Amino acid sequence: MPKKILIVDDDPDLVEAVTMILESKNYEVAAAYGGIEGLQKAKTENPDLIVLDVMMPDKDGYVVCKELKADPKLNKIPILLLTAVISKIATSRYTQQMGLETEADDYIDKPVEPEVLVKRIEMLLAK
Amino acid sequence: MRFAGSFMPDQINILVIDDEQIMREGCTRILSKDGWAVICAENGTKGLEEIKAQSEKIDVILLDLMMPGMSGMEVLDHVRTIDPTLLVIVITGYATVESAVEAMKKGAYDFIPKPFTPDQLRIVVKRALEKRTLQKEAEFLRREREKSLRDIATEKSKIKTIINCMGDGVLVCDRDGCIVLSNPAVSRMLKISESSLLGNFLPQCNLHSELANTIQESLATPDKNYTSVSQELSIGESGEIFLRAHTAPVRNDLGETMGSVTVLQDISHLKELDKMKSEFIAMVTHELRAPIAAVEQQLTVILNKMAGDVTEKQEQLLSRAKERTKGLLDLIKDLLDLSKIEAGKIVQYKEPLNLQEVIQKVVDLMRAQAENKKIDLQFSPSSQISLIHADRNSMEGIFTNLISNAIKYTPEGRTVFVQLGEEGGFVKASVSDTGIGIKKEDLSRIFDKFYRVKSSETRQIVQIVGTGLGLSIVKSIVDAHLGSISVESEEGGGTTFTVLLPKESNPSICVGEKS
Repeated sequence: MPKKILIVDDDPDLVEAVTMILESKNYEVAAAYGGIEGLQKAKTENPDLIVLDVMMPDKDGYVVCKELKADPKLNKIPILLLTAVISKIATSRYTQQMGLETEADDYIDKPVEPEVLVKRIEMLLAK
Repeated sequence: MRFAGSFMPDQINILVIDDEQIMREGCTRILSKDGWAVICAENGTKGLEEIKAQSEKIDVILLDLMMPGMSGMEVLDHVRTIDPTLLVIVITGYATVESAVEAMKKGAYDFIPKPFTPDQLRIVVKRALEKRTLQKEAEFLRREREKSLRDIATEKSKIKTIINCMGDGVLVCDRDGCIVLSNPAVSRMLKISESSLLGNFLPQCNLHSELANTIQESLATPDKNYTSVSQELSIGESGEIFLRAHTAPVRNDLGETMGSVTVLQDISHLKELDKMKSEFIAMVTHELRAPIAAVEQQLTVILNKMAGDVTEKQEQLLSRAKERTKGLLDLIKDLLDLSKIEAGKIVQYKEPLNLQEVIQKVVDLMRAQAENKKIDLQFSPSSQISLIHADRNSMEGIFTNLISNAIKYTPEGRTVFVQLGEEGGFVKASVSDTGIGIKKEDLSRIFDKFYRVKSSETRQIVQIVGTGLGLSIVKSIVDAHLGSISVESEEGGGTTFTVLLPKESNPSICVGEKS
């Protein structure tokens, strides 16, 4: 039984590229093209892991992350944040501005090398 | 030189008023020998006419007391009213002490009894001329002093007008921290009325606390090298006004601090422009970054043959395309860093930091890169290093950049030195390479945005890929920490970058440039 990964990103080209990487490693992939859709699919698709973009127009990745972690049915799903800016700065800025600790399980900068992405996903799934 | 000196005219004029022709001629003969001009009058009336006509020119008057018509005493009275400073020597015919005393009481300077010898006459006249010189000297000095006082008053009023008209604020404290001068611009900028500043001591006048600290510091410091401090202040609850304050101690010739001067500049409009520019850059770069990241992700997928087979030629072309997108993303990352620093966003999480730990971590991370080039990366830590007040990520960024640069510019097999120590109120870290060095004309521009040293050598020895933003980012971060960065280089002899960062314990003294 292959593991199911939900990709949430407003950029369809990026979603497609990441999908191809994951499918080549025999993961089952579901896609959502925005934060709100991502939250819905997290409930309906029952993914084993979520790859989550940060900067999305309707609901940004941090908010999505917070809502997922607040939901007792979903809070066990590991979340890999995909950021377009240097991850350290992105998170510390967010922490500073919103007074929130992000609860994502890992961060990764995009674009990402396939082997790096796969390795990080494997590590999160193994936890 | 004759005793007349500089306060006497070249020609000395002596007026002789006597009814006896023999006396007039005698005096003329004797006095002419000394080069003095003698004017004669045969009675009091004519004498007074001469005096009225040229009182400025006449230096001494010889006046016979006993004359027909107007008497000598009468003439003396008139002379005193015409010009009380005129020196009159009375000639007394009868050697009577009474008339001489009376004449002296009326203001005559001296008397000479008849008959007299030529020498006696000369002595009396000379003495009078000496007195005349002193008189003129005193008069000259008095005028000079009046003029100087007037000049000072004018100068004071001029300076006051200049200071009051200035757009920049000027605030002067005496050595006790009492405000002795404050122009209208200060009140406008600090939003404090002049009356609550002037004559008040620093703690009483509700001054911006950072500024008050700096002024106190400049008054208190015995360090002669401490010359001026420059700091940025934000005024108002919402921080809408930004000021740059330059504070310098005033010292007397013994080097004692007598007070301090602060000049305030309103830099709000500059800050505003800067912020707009940074926000624009941030917006553009974000908009740029997303599509390029997507393109690179797609290229990566194709290159990994996840979208089917790729021919060798296709792989070659796509690899090069990917290199180009990587270069673009690096540029954007640097631009983002810069715009964030300028927007004051990165360097906001200052904490007490041990720079030794930070540098050790960076050195460990960079070791692989150094070993690839067979470069010996040496870090000689100091045993006890004071903490600094800094943002950890920014500090890591600074030293990653400097050390990575040093490795890049050092030829294979040589050494890169990283040193850490202290200097005054600062922690001092330096990174030295043993590379090609930097030309003098490039040194001054090395911290400019987008500036890259270009030479055939740099192209050959090192394949430098970069955006030219690295060092300007480093400088922005150092500036945001109130530190300084300097570079020393010899062409062909290597380059050393030195970073000074204020120690944690003493933040107020380190607010800016020490020159």
